[in-house]
Formats: sequence, structure tokens, C-alpha cells
Amino acid sequence: MKHVILSAVSVLAIGLGAAQAEDYPTKEIQGIIQWGAGGSTDTVMRSVTPHAEEALGGTIVMQNMTGAVGAIALNHVASSDPDGYTLLMGAENPLLYKVMGLGDKDYNDFVPVSILARGTPLVVANVDAPFDDYAEMVAYVKANPGEVRFGATGPGGLPSVITAMINTVEGELDVIAVPYDGDGPALTALQGGAVDVMPAVLGIAIEGIRAGTMKPLAVFDVAETDKLPGVPPVTAFNPAFETYLPWGPFFGVFAPKGTPDEVVAKLSDAYAQGVANPEFVELMENRGFELMGISGQEATDFLTKWQQGTTWLLQDGGHTKASPEEFGIARPGE
Amino acid sequence: MEVLTPLLTVFAEPQLLALVALGTFAGIYVGAIPGLSVTMAVSILISFTFTWDVYPAISLMIGIYMGGVYGGARTAILLNIPGAPSAIATALDGYPMARRGEAGTAIGVTTVMSCIGGFVGIGVLALAAPLVSDFALRFQPRDYMLLALLGILLVGSLSTGSLVKGIFAGALGIAIGAVGRDPLTFTERFTFDLQILEGGISFIAVMIGMFGVSEALLQLHHVDKPAIRQKIDRIVPSLATVRKHLPLSLQTSTIGVVIGALPGTGGDIAALMAYDHAKRVTKHPERPFGDGAMEGLVAPETANNAAVGGAFIPMMTLGIPGDAVTAIMIGALFIHGLNPGPMLMIDRPEMFWFIVGALLTANVFMLIFGLTGIKLFTRIVEMPRSVLIPLILLLSIVGAYAVNNSIADVYWMLGFGVFGYFLRHYGYPLGPVILGVILSRLLDDNWRRAIISEREDLGRFFAGIFSSPLSTVLFIGVVLIFVSQTPLWRRLKARVLRPSGT
Repeated sequence: MKHVILSAVSVLAIGLGAAQAEDYPTKEIQGIIQWGAGGSTDTVMRSVTPHAEEALGGTIVMQNMTGAVGAIALNHVASSDPDGYTLLMGAENPLLYKVMGLGDKDYNDFVPVSILARGTPLVVANVDAPFDDYAEMVAYVKANPGEVRFGATGPGGLPSVITAMINTVEGELDVIAVPYDGDGPALTALQGGAVDVMPAVLGIAIEGIRAGTMKPLAVFDVAETDKLPGVPPVTAFNPAFETYLPWGPFFGVFAPKGTPDEVVAKLSDAYAQGVANPEFVELMENRGFELMGISGQEATDFLTKWQQGTTWLLQDGGHTKASPEEFGIARPGE
Repeated sequence: MEVLTPLLTVFAEPQLLALVALGTFAGIYVGAIPGLSVTMAVSILISFTFTWDVYPAISLMIGIYMGGVYGGARTAILLNIPGAPSAIATALDGYPMARRGEAGTAIGVTTVMSCIGGFVGIGVLALAAPLVSDFALRFQPRDYMLLALLGILLVGSLSTGSLVKGIFAGALGIAIGAVGRDPLTFTERFTFDLQILEGGISFIAVMIGMFGVSEALLQLHHVDKPAIRQKIDRIVPSLATVRKHLPLSLQTSTIGVVIGALPGTGGDIAALMAYDHAKRVTKHPERPFGDGAMEGLVAPETANNAAVGGAFIPMMTLGIPGDAVTAIMIGALFIHGLNPGPMLMIDRPEMFWFIVGALLTANVFMLIFGLTGIKLFTRIVEMPRSVLIPLILLLSIVGAYAVNNSIADVYWMLGFGVFGYFLRHYGYPLGPVILGVILSRLLDDNWRRAIISEREDLGRFFAGIFSSPLSTVLFIGVVLIFVSQTPLWRRLKARVLRPSGT
């Protein structure tokens, strides 16, 4: 016991001694997961972090902090000490907080440690739906306005972005958007017939498609994916989608702005090794995620581009609460 | 014998058997402490068991799950503080028994009944999983809404004393549940632009405050009274007792399995509905409900443990979680390289049978650990109040903090504790408040989903209800139960009973 107290005191002393980056980490690192246990962000973070811990030679204690679509976790980490001992493990949606009126902070208040992976969206339908591919669906919706039910996950969620994309490209489609707590519950509703069509990420829908409990209409990418051979990319139906694709949700680890560069570099390196771990690679490939493992300027550029494209798409579709312009988010290509 | 081998894997390997036992034992204690939830324990275990093989990892998690659901009853009976939301109904009759010095009997009965409920749940999982999951999938938003309405009508049976005060308490609970960003559109509701209200009020914090702190404050009135001596000579209930309650326990287990299998409702709602059912069908309880009726223990405890097996049904057949814990287990299977989904049963049938085997084992261990060590537990209530009260407060604070690691939750908990104390003082029942908080989201979200799906047209909404047999049955159920609680019903009954009276 004496020993423990002694080492605790010495750890504290080192911590007070300006947290020298060479020794980092000298104590447990807190990893705050933005979403609930069992969700896709949670599973990805819990699968990659043990490999990163090994490379880092430290312990990362992960904890779920949910609420207000992740804004509570984001604000918590943003206001903690930028010493590398509190990290945010999040997904793409904070980049939409500002325009959606959900908060005044986003990843601009953070330094990206690593953007781990990216998901591919696709559109699936109930097996009994009277259409079998994307073109038939659009024709059916146009012939039966206000009849087809689309699953949604609230403003700023993946379905809202994909629906905005479809509306921009095809002209406004008259569908009913039924909101659910997340893509899992919405896909459950799709199988039960409460919802006809659902834009979702490939990883969560793939097992259902394999079992024939839902049918894929189109992959929202510029090319077919080898995970779902035979399912055409949406650009095969309408090349106009090429302006917006590839687009997809992503997962990333972030440190509050002001974290010492050496610490961020150490963490980035550890997560890069974690992403490269064969076990993790296999896991992500099975679920149709594309590995990225980028950090530094490359990651910052990726985030900027993602935010510009998506916020303006939503703005033009009339889905935002405030214009991206107000927050200095430039229109893509400007 | 491709079924038997994986089913018996857990018995064949002493290591797995030990892990299930360890999990169940730990689960009972995790469950007994308010605020330490099974959900939390299992999600910590995901990281902890990352490098293990999938069988040992799942064995430990299943043990914790089974033990934890049962453990919530312990503190509900001994201290009137449910260790978990699914034990709220257990406190209603369990605590009055403890006050009569029958805590040992109460724990014995809950243990045996939990075990029976557990077996029914596992049995249905093993034999009829595809059938039940097909049925569960058929529930549309309007059906969930009707189910929530049925739940709201339980206010009648949870209110001891004045029904009006019960309805007020229930409405208060629904309002508390509505605070925060509305989950469908993220619009702020009742937040008064305060950041602390934006994330909503933690339901667990409300529960711990209302039951834990208010109980401690109430006990202060009798701080000098000696504690009640507990009779612990007869813990294992007699065969006659078990046989007497067997019909009821089978009915309430069925409620538990079905509610547990529905994605979106879990053991908490199942236990409350079962309690209500018991109150309806038991014509002559030995003691009135709320005063220590055995039936009031049997019903919720069978239902919440049956809900465990129920929750695995959609998880194993469709990859859809039946509750929060199975949602995390799906993540665990994924991390261990399996692909949870509708193909799991076809690709890896041995996984299904292994889980059934592990659940069975956990259920048996629960019975063993549950019936031993009761003496030690009952000592808790025999402690002098000057020790017990600070202990309750301490547990409440730790529990409230642990839910979200948030100090704000501790303040909520304390605030609701004081508020709950005054509510009780003035005869407002607390059960309906918690019921309201639990059902608030279910009712709110699904009503809106249902009406949005019908293009906000009430005519189409009702046409939808009457075109589906399931919705029609639920609707009739809501109407009948509602009418049966109004004076109209008594008048109608009187007229039917004496048709030629005048």
C-alpha cells in the first residue's frame, strides 16, 4: 500500500512538472467515447485502442459519455487540460454541430490524433418494397408522392445527408422521413416494415443483406465495392452524384487544442500502428470500412474538406439552422 | 449431436465454468449497488477481455448479466432502494416484508423465482427463438406507443392510497423524462437555456435520489428505534410455496420473455407489467399488495430474469439487441471476429448453443449464490440506523456519480432525494414517478414516429391500428384497462350482475 501511495505521489509530481513529453504517458489516459456502448464508434475504438496501447506503452481507459448527439462528450474533452491525458473518440457528426445549432464547438477546437477509418454509405430497402434498385425507387417515389417512408436518425445524421444529396441531384422527392434513435433501431424498423427505405453505412447493413432480410438499392460511391459484388454504385444510375462522392462517415481520435506536439505525435504514431494491426484490418474489412490511419496536416485537410462539402450540401438542401458562412466555412471550390 | 456438444462446452471446461460462476457472483453485487449497472460492468469487460478467446469472454459477461439482473432485488428488499430499474416493483412488497422481519424469506423466494423465470426465458430462447423474433419484429411504432400507454395505466396499481396523487406523480415523471434535447429533432425542451439541462436528467440519478436519499431522510425520523430482528431460520421456500405460485410465475415469465425480446423495451418495463398482472389475477393474496404480498415479489422477479433470455432472442436470430446489455454483447462478438446478424445462427450455430449453455449455467449458479450468504446480507438491515443512514447516502452518491462520471448527476440525485422525501411525506407515491420517467421516451418517440409515418393524419393513424390484428388487440387492451379503472365500470358491472334488479 505504501508503495502504491509513493508511486501515486511521484506520478503526481511528474504530472506537475509540466508533463514532459519524453516521459509521456506517465499515468492513465482517459479516452472519452462520444457514443453509447455497443455502437459502431464504441466497437471500433475498443478494437483499435488495445493495439495502440501496446505501441504507446501506456494505458488508455475508455469510457462512454453519451447525450446531446455526442456534444456533451465533445465539450467535456474540449474543456479539459490539453496535456494528452484526455482524448476524444468520436465520429464525423461534430463537424455539423455549428450549422445544426447543436453547439459552438467542433473539431476545430481539437488536434486530430488519427482519422482511423471511413465507412461507405448505401441505400437499402425492405424486402417487400415494390422496387429493386435505385432508379426504380426514384421512379416509384415520383409516381407515389408522400407514400414511401425513409428511415432517419435526426438532423445531421448519415440518412439526412444522403437524403439531402438525393434531393439535390434528383430534385425534391416527396417522402416521409421517420426519425429513429440510430441506424440500428431504424434498420430493425425497416425489417419489420415500419420503414421502406433506409440510407445506412455498409458495415451495419451487410449482414442483413447477406441473409436476405433487406435488399440493397445502390452503393453511394463512385465504384462498386468488393464487399457487395453486383450492387451498382449510384453513379451508374445518375452520374451527377460524382460531384458529392466519395463521401462517408468516419471515426477519429482527437486531443484538445494546445496539446504539446510531441505528445500528439506519440499518440498519432501509436494509433497508426494500431490501425495497421492485422487483426484490426481484418475486422474492419469484414465490415466494409476503409482504413485511413491519417494524422497531422493530412487529417486536418480531410476534416476541412469534409466539413465544407457536407455543411454546404445541407445548407443548399435547406436542412441547417445556421449558414456555414457564419462560421467561416467556405463553399467547396471557393 | 451438433447441438449437445456446444451446449455442454461450458461444463466440459472447468475454466469456463469458473468464469460463469465468478461472473454471476460479481453480478449479484454489481446489481445490488444502485448506480453500478450491468450495462456498465459488461462494457468495461469488453476492453478487459479483449485479448481473451471468445468463449471465456462471453462466459464472464453472461454470468454478470444474469447475476446482475437478480442482484437488484437485494437492496430493494433490504433497504427499499432498488439496485437497478428492473427491481423497482420488487421493493413494493419486498421492503414491507423486511420490515416484518421476513427479509430472509423474501430473498429466498426472489432467488427461487428468479431462477424459474430465468429457465423459462432460456427455454423459449432455445426452442422458439425464430418464432418470437418474427413476432417482435412485427411491432410498429404505434404498437410501442400502445404498449407505453398500457404501461402508463399501471399508475393505478403502483399508487398506494390516493389515485389522484398517483396520477400527478406519473405525470411528473413523464415531464422529467421529456427534459433535454428531444431525441428526434434535437430541439431543446424545458431546458431554459441552461447547459445542465441540455443533456436531460439522468433517469438513474432520479431513481437513486427518490428511493435512496428519501429513504435515508425518512429513516432519520426513527433514528433511535431499534432495528427489526430478522428471522433467518427459513430461507429456502417450501415446495408448497413454490407450487402455489407456479401458475402465476409462468404467466409473468411469459410477460418477461416477450417484453424482453422486443427491441426497445427491457426488464424494467417487464417487471412493472408483471407486477400489475399479478395484482389483477390474484384474487385473495395472503396479505394486501404493498403490505408484503408474496405475489408482489414473484411477479417482477420472474419477469425480469425471463427478460434476459428474451433479450437474447433478437440478438441471436437477427443481430438486433433486445436491450442495452445485449447491444454491448453484439459489439463484443464483433470485436472477437464474429459477425453478429441473421447469418450467425447459420454460420456459427455452435455459438448459439454455447450461449444457451452458459445462460443455463449462470442461472444455476445464481440459485446457489443467491441462497447462500443471505445471513450476511440481512445483517445490513439489523445495523443501527446511525450507521445505516450514512451508508445509504454514501452508496447513493457513489452510484449516481458512477453512471456518467458526472458530478451534476450527484446534484440531481440529492435534489430529487429531498424532493422525494417531501413527496412521500405528503402521501405521493414514488413508483409512478419512476414509471413516468421510464415510459416518457417510449411513449413520446413512438407516438411521434407513428403519426409522422401516417403523414400526421389521425384518420390514417386509426385506420392503421384497426388494420393490424396486433395493434387492435393492444388498443382494446388499453381501452378495457382504462375503463376498468373508472367508476363507469363499477356501475356497468352492477347493472350486469342484477339485470332484473328493478
